[in-house]
Amino acid sequence: MKLAGNDILIQSLIEEGVEYIFGYPGGAALHIYDSIFKQKEMEHILVRHEQGATHAADGYARATGKPGVVLVTSGPGATNAITGIATAFMDSIPMIVISGQVAKHLIGTDAFQETDMIGISRPIVKHSFTVDSAENIPEIVKQAFHIATSGRPGPVVIDVPKDTTAPDKLFEFKYPNDVNIRSYKPPIDPDPRQIERAVDAIIESNKPVIYAGGGAINSNASEELIRLNEILDFPVTNTLMGLGVYPATHKRFLGMLGMHGTYQANMSMHNADLIIAIGARFDDRITNTPKLFAPKAKIIHLDVDYSSVSKIIEANIAVFGQVKNALLEMIKLLEVKKELIDPKKILPWKEQISDWKSQHGLNHEMHLCETDDKPIMPQAVVQHLYNITNGKAFITSDVGQHQMFAAQYYHFDEPRKWINSGGLGTMGFGLPAAMGAKLAYPNDEVICITGEGSIQMCIQELSTCTQYNLPIKIININNEALGMVKQWQDMNYGGRHSASTYQSSLPNFVELAESYGHVGIKIEKNSELKSGLEKALSMKDRLVFVDVYVDPNEHVYPMLVAPNGSLKDMWLDKETKT
Amino acid sequence: MIQRKLSIILENKPGALVRVVGLFHQRGYNIESLHVDPVEDLKEYKFVEDKLNIKLKEGEVSHLIIATTVNDNLLRQILRQINKLIDVLIAEEVK
Ligand SMILES: Cc1ncc(C[n+]2csc(CCOP(=O)(O)OP(=O)(O)O)c2C)c(N)n1
Ligand SMILES: [Mg+2]
Repeated sequence: MKLAGNDILIQSLIEEGVEYIFGYPGGAALHIYDSIFKQKEMEHILVRHEQGATHAADGYARATGKPGVVLVTSGPGATNAITGIATAFMDSIPMIVISGQVAKHLIGTDAFQETDMIGISRPIVKHSFTVDSAENIPEIVKQAFHIATSGRPGPVVIDVPKDTTAPDKLFEFKYPNDVNIRSYKPPIDPDPRQIERAVDAIIESNKPVIYAGGGAINSNASEELIRLNEILDFPVTNTLMGLGVYPATHKRFLGMLGMHGTYQANMSMHNADLIIAIGARFDDRITNTPKLFAPKAKIIHLDVDYSSVSKIIEANIAVFGQVKNALLEMIKLLEVKKELIDPKKILPWKEQISDWKSQHGLNHEMHLCETDDKPIMPQAVVQHLYNITNGKAFITSDVGQHQMFAAQYYHFDEPRKWINSGGLGTMGFGLPAAMGAKLAYPNDEVICITGEGSIQMCIQELSTCTQYNLPIKIININNEALGMVKQWQDMNYGGRHSASTYQSSLPNFVELAESYGHVGIKIEKNSELKSGLEKALSMKDRLVFVDVYVDPNEHVYPMLVAPNGSLKDMWLDKETKT
Repeated sequence: MIQRKLSIILENKPGALVRVVGLFHQRGYNIESLHVDPVEDLKEYKFVEDKLNIKLKEGEVSHLIIATTVNDNLLRQILRQINKLIDVLIAEEVK
C-alpha cells in the first residue's frame, strides 16, 4: 500500500492500537491533522493548552498502563508540552509525544515557530527521534512505543519536520511486526542467585518491612506482591507513587511513608532490620537525610533500572529485572523453603508496630460530624468522599496540602486508582489527568481532588470537558491560599506569608463552572458537607465542580523534620515533635 | 579521588554524542577531556560484537573516551546512567 508521510504516521499509531490522541493543531502539524480527519479508528481530543494534552495522556497512561499519545505543533506548541513531559518522565510513565517541526530545509534558520524540541526535551525524555524521511516513520514509531513501554517506562518524543508528512509524496507502507534495538535490552528475568540471597535474608529477618513504589505498579505486580505477602505476612508500606499496589485496607498495611507518611510507617522503616524495596527509588521525600536512613536495615532492592539501585542508599542485595518476574521467582522459592519461615519470630515486631499505630496513627473518623460553628476540615472532605464512593473511584490530584490529605485519607485498595504527580509535583496535573482517566474508564467514577491554587493552572480544560462530555467530579479543597507553601512559611519563616495568599482575588468557582456549561456547588458549612458531596456524585452525567471552603489554618501531619532529620523525626501536630 | 577514563561505544547517529555529554551536565559530573572517533578498524572492537552478539559495520558506531575525576560509587552510577542511554552499546572504565 502506498501512502503519504502524514497517513503513514497516523496508520502507524493505529497499528499500535492507539484509541485517543491528545493534541492541539498548528502550522507544522497541519498535514498530520488532515490525516486524523480522514480516519475513524482513533479519536483526537482537542485540549485548550498543550500542557493539558500531556497531562491528559499521562492520566490515561496511569489509569490503563497503556502509553498516552500527544500531538503538538512546533515552537510554542512543543514548549507548552514540556512541563507534562517532565511530569511523565519523573514518574516513569509511558508516553509518546509527536511534535511538528519546521521543514528540514528551514531547520537552523530561526524559521517561524522553529524551536529545538529535541534539545529542549533531551534531559526529560527516555529517548527521542527526529524523522528524516517518511519512509522511516513506521520503524521510528515502532521503536518509540517499545522504548516508552518497556524496562523503566518513560516519555519518548518524535519530532516530525513538516516536509516528511507532505501529502503529495507517496511511499510504500508496511508496519513492522517486531522490534529489535541492539543497544537497548532492559533486564526482564532476575538472576536466580540474587533471588536465593533475597529469600535467605527474608527468612533470617526479625524486623522486616516491605516498601513498594510506583515501579511495582508499572510492572503490574500488585497481585504478585499480595501473593508474596500471603506467605510472609510482613508489614507493608507504599510510597506516594505506590498507593494501591498493596490494599490499603489490609491489616498489614502501614499507610504511606515519607515526608507526610504515617507515624507507624516511618518508625517501622527506621527501626527495621530488613527493607524489601520493590520498584521504589529511595527519593529524598522517603529517606529524609540519607546518612541517617534506617541505620540497622539490610536492603533488598528489586528494580528494572540498574541506575536506580544503590544510587542513594546502598543495596545489600540487588535484584534486577521486571519486578513482577522477580516476585514470582521469590514466591516459588519461598514455597519450597516454607518450613524455614518462623512466623513467631516477628511477632514482637508486629506488636511494636501496632503500638506505634495506636499511639500516633491517623484518626480516620476525624471531623466527620463537626457542628457549623467550626470550619470544615480538609481531611473530612476526603473521608466523606471515600465513604460515599466505597473507595472505588479513580482519584486524581494536584499538588499541595489537598494532595497529601487525599493520599492519607482515601484508602486505595487497587493499583492505578490514585493518579498524582509525585516526582515533579506539577500543579495543574489533576484536571487534565482526570480527563484521560475518564476517557479510558467512562463508566467509573473519576474525581479530581484539587486546591484553588492548582486548579487555576489548567482550568481552561473545563472547556474540553464540555466538548467531549466528560462528567468528572472536581472537589476543590479551598483554603484560600497556597496552603502547602503557607504551612512551610508558618513552620520555617515565622509565619510570614510571602506571596501565598490572593487578597480576595479568587473567582466565583460556581459561576465559572456554570459558564462552561457545568454544575457548580459551593459548600461552606459542616452540616452541608456530606449531603453536598452526595448530591454532586449523584449527577452521573454532569461535570460537577464542588467548591468546599475549609479551615485555612490546618497543616498536614505527620511531617518529617528537615534538614538533618531521620525517618523517626516527625512533627505530629503544630506543637508536638517525636 | 583519581582521574578515570571511561570508554563508551555508541551508535554513530545524530544526537547520540550530545546525550552522553548532556548527561554529565544534568547529573552534575564534570568532563575533563573528551575524544571521539568513528570506528573504522573493527578488529579491536570484537569485544563489542561478542558481548552483545551483534555484527558491526565500519563507521556504524563511534568510540568516545571521557576523563573525569570521581570516586568509586559515583563512577558506578555514571556508568549505569550512560549504559541506560538508548544509543549506547557499552560503557566501561578503561583499566
Ligand atoms: C507548577 C508549580 N508551581 C509551584 C509549585 C510549588 N507549590 C507546591 S504546593 C503549592 C501550593 C498549592 O496550592 P493549592 O493548589 O491551593 O493547594 P493547597 O496546598 O492549598 O491544598 C505550591 C505553590 C508547584 N508544586 N508546582
Ligand atoms: Mg489552597
